[in-house]
Order: sequence, then C-alpha cells, then structure tokens
Amino acid sequence: MSGLLEIQRLSKSFDTTKVINDFSMEVVEGTVCCLVGPNGAGKTTTMDLITGRIKPTSGKIIFANEDITAKHEHLIARAGIGRKFQVPAVLRDMSVRQNLEVAYSRQTNPFRNLLKFHKPGLTAKLDEVATLAGLTGRLKERAGILSHGETQWLEIGMVLMQEPRLLLMDEPIAGMTESEIEKTARIFKDLRKSATLLVVEHDMGFVREIADVVVVMHMGSLLAQGSIQEIEADLRVRDVYLGEQEVA
Amino acid sequence: MGNLYHNKIAQWVVYVAFFAALAIIPNMVGDSFLLNQFATYCVYGMLALSISLCWGFGGILNLGQGIAFGLGAYGMAMTMQMQSQTESNPIPPFMLNNSLDYLPLLWQPFQSTLLGLILAVTVPTLFCAAFGGIMFRARVSGPFFAIMTLAMLSAFYTIILDRQAYTGGVNGLTPPSAFQFAGVEVDPYSPTAYWVVLFFLTGATFLAKLITQSSFGLVTQAIRDDSERVRFLGYSVAGYETVIYTISGLIAAVAGCCWVMLVQYVSPAQMDVGFSLSIVIWAAIGGRHSLLGSILGALIIQGAQSYLGDTFLATWLLILGGFFIVVVRFLPNGLASLLEVALGLLARPDPTSSPAPDGGRPLPAE
Repeated sequence: MSGLLEIQRLSKSFDTTKVINDFSMEVVEGTVCCLVGPNGAGKTTTMDLITGRIKPTSGKIIFANEDITAKHEHLIARAGIGRKFQVPAVLRDMSVRQNLEVAYSRQTNPFRNLLKFHKPGLTAKLDEVATLAGLTGRLKERAGILSHGETQWLEIGMVLMQEPRLLLMDEPIAGMTESEIEKTARIFKDLRKSATLLVVEHDMGFVREIADVVVVMHMGSLLAQGSIQEIEADLRVRDVYLGEQEVA
Repeated sequence: MGNLYHNKIAQWVVYVAFFAALAIIPNMVGDSFLLNQFATYCVYGMLALSISLCWGFGGILNLGQGIAFGLGAYGMAMTMQMQSQTESNPIPPFMLNNSLDYLPLLWQPFQSTLLGLILAVTVPTLFCAAFGGIMFRARVSGPFFAIMTLAMLSAFYTIILDRQAYTGGVNGLTPPSAFQFAGVEVDPYSPTAYWVVLFFLTGATFLAKLITQSSFGLVTQAIRDDSERVRFLGYSVAGYETVIYTISGLIAAVAGCCWVMLVQYVSPAQMDVGFSLSIVIWAAIGGRHSLLGSILGALIIQGAQSYLGDTFLATWLLILGGFFIVVVRFLPNGLASLLEVALGLLARPDPTSSPAPDGGRPLPAE
C-alpha cells in the first residue's frame, strides 16, 4: 500500500550540521500519524521540508504520486497540503472572519480575484468551520486580541478552510486547557474520515488518544514506527524519549 | 455597533459625494488659470491614490513612483510634440539643435496619436510588471524594495538627462500647442480639460476602491500583515504584489499623461527623487490606508503650498516639514485616522466597556 505522503531518504544540512539524516516515512491516506521525538530531533524541520519552506539537501518528497520536493510553498499548498505552525501564525491585524475567508483559497489566481466579491460556498464553509472551532461569537474581533487557545483554534480553522487532503499540525494543543484538548482530539478523529493528518506533538496522552501510527524521530533519523502500543513497548524509544518524559 | 468609518455603504456615499463636489467646481470657478491649477491638483491626487493602493493596501513602499509618472508624461509629451510636426517639418526643433537630422526610431510610433497614447500608458505599465515581477519573485521586500525603486528612478533620471538629442535633456519637451484628440483641441485651461482629468481620477479611485474590497484586496491585506503565512494558504505572494504594483504604476502613468495635457511641458524634474518622495508624503499625511484620505492629503499639501508658499516663501518648507513630523509622531495613519477615531468614539458611547484603544483598529502602523 502506498502512502498519500512518502518521504524518501530525506537529508538536510545547515552548513556541516546534519539536521535531517536519511529520514524516510510515509503517511497512509485516512489515518492520523503522529510524529514525536525529543527536542531538536528535526520534527519541525521535516514540516518545513514538506511544505517547501526550506529545500532538502537530498531525498524526495512524494505527495499523491507527485514529486513536490523543493517546490514553492504556494504550489505545495495548492496541491493539497495545509499547515498549522508551531507558533500560531494568524493574520493578527485582520478580523477572525477575514482570516478564515483568506484561507478559503479555492481561487488563487490574482487576476480572477481582482474584481471578485462573492465566493461560492464560502458562507456555508465559514459557518461550519467557525462552529467547529468555537469562534462563531468572535468573527468580528481582530485576531490579534484572541487568547492563546483561541488563536490555536483559529489557525486550525484556517487550515480546515483550505480543504486540504493532508493536514500538518505542529503542536496543535500547546497552551490549550484540558477540555479544549479533549475537544481537539474528538475533532481530529472526526477529520480522519475526510482527510489525512500528520501531527507533531509532545503530549503522549494526546498522541495515545488520536494516533493510528506513531513515528519517532531522533537526531534527524527514524528511530521507530508503529502503533502506539508497539512504540511504548520499544526499549530504544523508552531510552531516548519516553523514559526521560516519564521522569519529568 | 460598528464604526461607521468601516461601513462600506457609508464609504461609497462619501466617495460619490466627494467626486460630485469636485465635478461642479468649473461651474463655480470662472478663473481659467485657477481651474487649470485645480486640475493639476487632481493629477497629484491620482498619484497619491496610486501610492495609497500600493503602500497603504499592498504594503509595498514605492519611492520611485516618478518612473511610471515620468514615462507616461514623456510619452504624452512626445505624442503632443509630433502632433505639431508637419510633412515638410517632421523633426522636432530640439533634435535639429542637437544635430539630429532624422526622426529616431524611438519617436516614430508617436507620429500616430492613438499609438502614442497607447505607448504612453503601456510602456510604464509593462515596465512595472517586469521590474516588480523580477523583484517580488526574488522576495525583495520592505525597505530593500523601496531602495531598488529609488535606484531605478535615479537611473531613468540620468538616462533622460543624458540623451539630450532624444529627450530634450534638462530642458525637457515643450509641445508648442495643446493636445488634439479626434480633431478636437483640448484647451488645458478649459472646463473640458478639468473634467477629463477628473474623469480619470474618479475612474481610478472607484476601480481602486473595488479592488480593495474584492477577494484580491483581502489577499493583499493578508500579505501586508504576514506575507510568509499567506504563501502556505496557496497564494503566490509575488503574483499578488506584482499585480498591485503594476496597477499602481498604470494609475501613475495615466496621471503623467494628464499632467502633460494640462501644463504642455515635461522635464527630468518630474523624475526627480524629491518629487517621488513628496507623493509618499501626501499619502502619509492624508492617511495611506484610505484612498480618499491620500487624495485629500495631496490636495491639501499642494493647495497649501501654492497659497501659503507664496506668503511664507522658504519658511513654507520648514512648516511642511514640521507638520509632517507632527503627523508621523501623533497620527501614524494620517489625517484619515482622526475621522476613524472620532467615528469609533461615536460607535462606542460607553468607554468603560470598550477594549483597549487600539483594539478596534484593524489597520497596522508599519
């Protein structure tokens, strides 16, 4: 079975430092895959490589049977990959509604958008996502004044507005309360029906809740891959990652 | 309750009222010299509008708007110059004075008025598309782009100054007669000339207003806010930046044509760095986030310069400089933000329940 996203022997060096070292993995369509590992393992760098923010030194990234290695960010986004950043990146000077509207990017051609005032399907989608993200009452607010949790939700909402086939979520529950985390887990499991998720997360409780597959990275390489039970039983993983977390 | 300043219908009402008021000026002003001056203010308004679109809405600071304005102006001046040349006397006098005894290839298309006008508008527009495309694709932005426009402006200034046989050098071009279109002479001191200029100012403003309210405008605002984030939503940031920069250049080129029609004159001074900087200052004082605010900024500053400048002479520049410092320090979003704040206070009668003063302000101070 071939995956929706395939990373093949990916390497990235900054000067002489190898940040990603011969890393391969795949994400199967319709699953939630969690990418875990200690700080500095290269998780966010992998996200940057997938979305085209940085270019790999070697290796290939295949998305939906198409080579997207080192393509421009906006082309990768158009191919169907949406991304939520580790530090929530919303458009702070625009309203919540405008943030969601901009993210609804079915039409990206500047000339076609030039004198376009009505986007078909926008209202329904916006209502759906705003309800899901719990932002219905906040649509008129400036995004810059939202609380940290709401900002996280807004950015998740923006990714959903993009209607991507693959959602990359970099630490989506950082700064959320217990009940917000539960809600996020529910929604992620729900999303799996229509999309595929790759989630970078530290919170093993959350990973246990949502993951179909867990990929463990260490020093820029693949350490282990499997179901959550297999990963938690893996001695090497306990050694470099889970062990130290349990102590902490 | 929302701020009336952000109400789209209210905005359109104000815009229509403003241009309707401008349109009846010729019926009230009998002095044709004054009318001609008002028409040139409208040209300055068009330039301020183009900067507001590019800088205020697109976030692209352009210190070289004189390029598009100057190229448009030269195109128009060349067209008008050739209108006064005849079969027996096909070469403009200044060329003969520079011992050029044939009409250079560069000038030949301007023998046709229609082709001349088309070139006067398309050449600067295509230049902006090419220059902007190269720069934005390489992700040159912010102050670096501003410096590049400044450098490009200086390059054009030098070339025009240097190629005297083709451009008239420092003397520029002074077409001897008024612009003729379809057999009709447009007297620059007539109400017709004023209305022609006002027509282009109004058209450009309404077009710009529609653009800012369209999906395109929303994306450019997002780019101004965080261009890095917008890429990951699937938009080509360079594409959007190039388009808005080019539209802004198109408006400036039309302004250049109108200007020469009114004053029958163009020289390298129109591509002087100081002039391009003053366009940015008009927009900054009027309020670059407001199209109408920017236009008013140009009208106020240039109007004041004409009348107060005569009274205060050299002191006027000091007064203008001082005023600019006060606006930048206390009203970073220009005079238009005064109205925005005032209407905001009306919309929120109870100050205790309102969020932080800048909570309701959707526009950034950059």
